[in-house]
Amino acid sequence: MNGSIHPTLLVSAALFALGAIGFLTRRNLILMILSAEMMLHGVGLAMVTFGQIHNNNEGQIFTIFVLTVAACEAGLALALILSLYHRTKSLDMDLWSALREDDMPSPVGDDSTRGPVEIDKRPVPPILTPAGLPLDPKTPLQPTRSSHEETATHV
Amino acid sequence: MSWIQQNWPLLLPLVLGAIGVWLLMPGKRAIRPLGGLAALGALALGFQLVAGGKDIHGAMYVVISTFCLIAAVLMITSRNPVYGALWFALVTLCVCGLFLLQSAPFLAAASIIVYAGAIIVTFLFVMMLAQQSGASNYDQSSRQPFVASVIAFTLLGMLLITFQSWGVQHAKIQNDPLQAIATSPPTPATTSETRTVHAFSRPVGQEQIGELRGLGRALFSDFLFSVEIAGTLLLIASIGAIALAPRRAQGTL
Repeated sequence: MNGSIHPTLLVSAALFALGAIGFLTRRNLILMILSAEMMLHGVGLAMVTFGQIHNNNEGQIFTIFVLTVAACEAGLALALILSLYHRTKSLDMDLWSALREDDMPSPVGDDSTRGPVEIDKRPVPPILTPAGLPLDPKTPLQPTRSSHEETATHV
Repeated sequence: MSWIQQNWPLLLPLVLGAIGVWLLMPGKRAIRPLGGLAALGALALGFQLVAGGKDIHGAMYVVISTFCLIAAVLMITSRNPVYGALWFALVTLCVCGLFLLQSAPFLAAASIIVYAGAIIVTFLFVMMLAQQSGASNYDQSSRQPFVASVIAFTLLGMLLITFQSWGVQHAKIQNDPLQAIATSPPTPATTSETRTVHAFSRPVGQEQIGELRGLGRALFSDFLFSVEIAGTLLLIASIGAIALAPRRAQGTL
């Protein structure tokens, strides 16, 4: 078992592992997506290297298709991130851990290494109270600033 | 135990790298420079493992690979997401350099256009619009850094062990991958002895691998249906992105 790893394969495997760490640990939505793109980089690098070792073009062609899928993924992820940001005005992934079932444990674990949840200090825009309907303060997914943004009627 | 003694040159950089990345993760710890040193030591040990006493072909491999891995570690450990995106751009450039060294010039150009030209710019645009007030505290901490480092470096170790056993089987090709490709033009007589023969998308005649003519011929003859499906996929993804994007007032995000 003396060292005989192709150096590019080493780099590709390391890129995949580092991207996995970034995807698992970061709390920023955009950095999570970029870490996934870095995993795709590692896979593409490995496929190009295998294609060169075996002397055919299939590795590069597969990587071209991976590039296509990565472009699609980036576009869809950007749209999803924008609509998530639209609801919470934050890019924090942990704000969406409330989507779990009630009897499930928290996916983020204990809070020993985490900071406090971000508190939005910006002034709340004035919202007219709808007539006739009582406001329910105990509704969890009704933040102070998202109730007026669902439609574009306030343009 | 004897297995550990036999494989300590592989295990030592893995453990050191895991410790380094774990210490570099944002959190309450104040020993991040120590983690950086450990990660650099893991990188040096890993390259010595690859070199195995003999010199590596060309210093470009070492330089580009080192910059690539350093930028990757800095990307996933940076506290400012804008810096993280810029480090990702550097990772992309280094990967394109490795594509060039692996004789894939078209792929390098396409990756630069798609990643550095489109993805990074749009993500930076969103990030700067979304976080105008500066650093936010969800970037200052990370979620389960120790477990993630251990799992990912275990995965890396398994990948490297697989590559290593595969490399022992293909020792003849592995010993001199650059020279074997660069000096001898690929002819079916020499390739059929050492490798499995199938004529699918193999360069013909005097063509080198990665040449644009051979790549285009393989792409639009052998993989024609895949190209059509990829075009359809792009169309569907653009329609889905338009449908998913929230309606918004003008000038807001």
